[in-house]
Amino acid sequence: MDKQQEFLSDLWEHFPDVLEDFQEHVKNQFVATIPREELPSVVRYAVNRLGARFVISVGTDRREKTGDYTISYVLAFDEDKKFLVLQSHLPPDDPTIGSVTPDVPAANWSEREARDLVGIVPVGHPDPRRLILPDDFPNDIHPLRREYEYNERFPVEPENAYSWKTAPDGMTVVPLGPFYPTLEEPACFRLYLDGEKVVGSDYRGFYNHRAVEKLGDSELNYNQIPFVAQQICGICGQVHSVAYCQAVEEACGIKVPMRAKYIRSILLELERLHSHLLWVGLAGHIIGFDTVLMQLWRIREPVMWLMERVTGNRKHYSSNLIGGVRFDITPESADDIRMVLNKVEEEFKAVYDAVIIDTTLMARLKGVGILTTEDAKALGVVGPTARGSNVAIDCRVDHPYAAYAELDVQKQVQDGCDNWARTVVRLLEIFESIRLIRKALKDMPGGEIIAKIDHPLPAERIGLCSVEAGRGECHHYVLTGEENRPYRWRVRAPTYQNLQAVACMIQGEQLADVPISIGSYDPCFSCTERVETVEVNTNRIRVYTKGELEDMCRQKTWK
Amino acid sequence: MFKAKLKEAVICLGAGRVTLPYPFKPSEVPPKFRGKIEFDARKCIGCGGCANVCPPRCIVIEDIGEVARITFYLDRCIQCARCYEVCPENAIWPTEQFETATTDKSDLKSEMIIWMSSCQRCGRCFETDNAIDRFQSKRWRGRGPGKANKHGIFPTKPPVDFTMRKSLVREGEEKA
Repeated sequence: MDKQQEFLSDLWEHFPDVLEDFQEHVKNQFVATIPREELPSVVRYAVNRLGARFVISVGTDRREKTGDYTISYVLAFDEDKKFLVLQSHLPPDDPTIGSVTPDVPAANWSEREARDLVGIVPVGHPDPRRLILPDDFPNDIHPLRREYEYNERFPVEPENAYSWKTAPDGMTVVPLGPFYPTLEEPACFRLYLDGEKVVGSDYRGFYNHRAVEKLGDSELNYNQIPFVAQQICGICGQVHSVAYCQAVEEACGIKVPMRAKYIRSILLELERLHSHLLWVGLAGHIIGFDTVLMQLWRIREPVMWLMERVTGNRKHYSSNLIGGVRFDITPESADDIRMVLNKVEEEFKAVYDAVIIDTTLMARLKGVGILTTEDAKALGVVGPTARGSNVAIDCRVDHPYAAYAELDVQKQVQDGCDNWARTVVRLLEIFESIRLIRKALKDMPGGEIIAKIDHPLPAERIGLCSVEAGRGECHHYVLTGEENRPYRWRVRAPTYQNLQAVACMIQGEQLADVPISIGSYDPCFSCTERVETVEVNTNRIRVYTKGELEDMCRQKTWK
Repeated sequence: MFKAKLKEAVICLGAGRVTLPYPFKPSEVPPKFRGKIEFDARKCIGCGGCANVCPPRCIVIEDIGEVARITFYLDRCIQCARCYEVCPENAIWPTEQFETATTDKSDLKSEMIIWMSSCQRCGRCFETDNAIDRFQSKRWRGRGPGKANKHGIFPTKPPVDFTMRKSLVREGEEKA
């Protein structure tokens, strides 16, 4: 065993005879095939004893190639800067795998997703309800299996209903969602309240699942996916597009020119800059402090105009292709970026100085939405949510991509574990982003911006890429295929992990603090248009309209 | 407390008016802006390069005997600019137009039918530096049986029968 694989020596000592196959497709990314009986215990040992971080699990239908299903668990060894893929083959007549969720809570959604979409059943999963597919979707159809077309219409089964968790006795149920005027992803929380105190919660989401993964492995080609990937998110489009391109480039061994890497980094940091400015504004808005919203969004707008001048579009930059980027940052653009940065830095500094000592904000944010370091690690949260809970992970440092290896990123970590800590992390990261963009513009080398590709990309290679978005680690897994398109493309957005921690964050909170706690990992929630109350004793439903609610508020205020 | 509020007041007062006069005055777009695309049937050679690279399939090419029909659906366009990047004849180009809202969906569809003298299916006249764009994926031209739907998407399998969705039943309503 060479020096590269030392971090695994403990694992293979503990499980001496499990390895069926071991490969290093890409530097720092290892793929181990093990029998499916052993897979759960190996994952459990790696995560709980060796400190590996669970990233995603990917189910793949490989029946037309190898005659079986494959399940791959992707683990990150952040300190060693390495990824390990543990994969098992499952026979097509019995695609089951022992669930690791009881010991590795971070795997909860990934395993449910593999069950919904590919039909790989996690045996012993503590919460085997449906996650992704609609409520009235047939039980025996798994749309990511290869026999289904991307545009196939399935029969509906109206009898299928989602079973919410039963509310504890005598508790009030408050539904939060699924539709919010300013939320970019509809999500439905159901809160169980004792008076004003949250004693339990339940979640149902994935209302606008758009099946991009299915399109990626059946319709689009390698160079079309970056543009579809950037439509996944309304804020961090560049992140998804870069993560996909880098995963393919790593899998196929394409050497990206240095200048292209720098351009990607600059665009990514500009995106983080406007994403964080947006978030801090929204956090102010959620707790009713709209001055912060107005001023930060005023500061943010010039960044959006800058992106329009540099890339041609304020949000969807469309800058990436496999092998590099499509357009250069000219010296004029670079001067433009520097000028806007100076203005943004000056204005943001003024707001920062005011906000950081503002007791109104502290009163609403400090000690609220507690996520302890242990919980943060167990649930596998990422990004500012993790860094606010004193978990020092940042993909720009841990798994350097693009030009970050040369930019010397400083991790911003706070130990408050509350909403205030998460806010401070983001505020400080804005300054860090400005510094990184300036450094990248200064150090950017000349030369080509896209690599030359002459032959079809090799099939059957696995590529992984983690990119640090504003909200956290965005992970893309690509298994290359024939026909000029990936065989399997799996996207895990940062919110996927962070959302699972919300139940933990809001437990024991006041109802009024729930929106900011949910908001603190960076989706945006606004006030509900309507509120539905259920009288527990009679099961009667009463729906209040917005007008009625406003009247009630007025009566209460003026009484 | 007081100090923070004072600072915030100064910031607010110093900001001035930031609202733009749009739509009463037109909004200028930067030179690199990617707006609505336009094309010229006299320049087009029907190679289908644009349809091959178009990620949302807003450009669809159909070979009908001696002619090729190229349809552009603006409602699907994501303004990625790939089509005019690969066009060998500069037959398609961007404009500065971005106000494309309409009450009639048919405004968003444009079509050109060009007569193909030869080289109808070989695709050899499509030249690009990027090899990935040259590798043709299955199903990008001459799709499976059936007619295109209103979005220009061809069914690859006949749709199975499906029943209409029942309206959502609220919890508790049935019990009452």
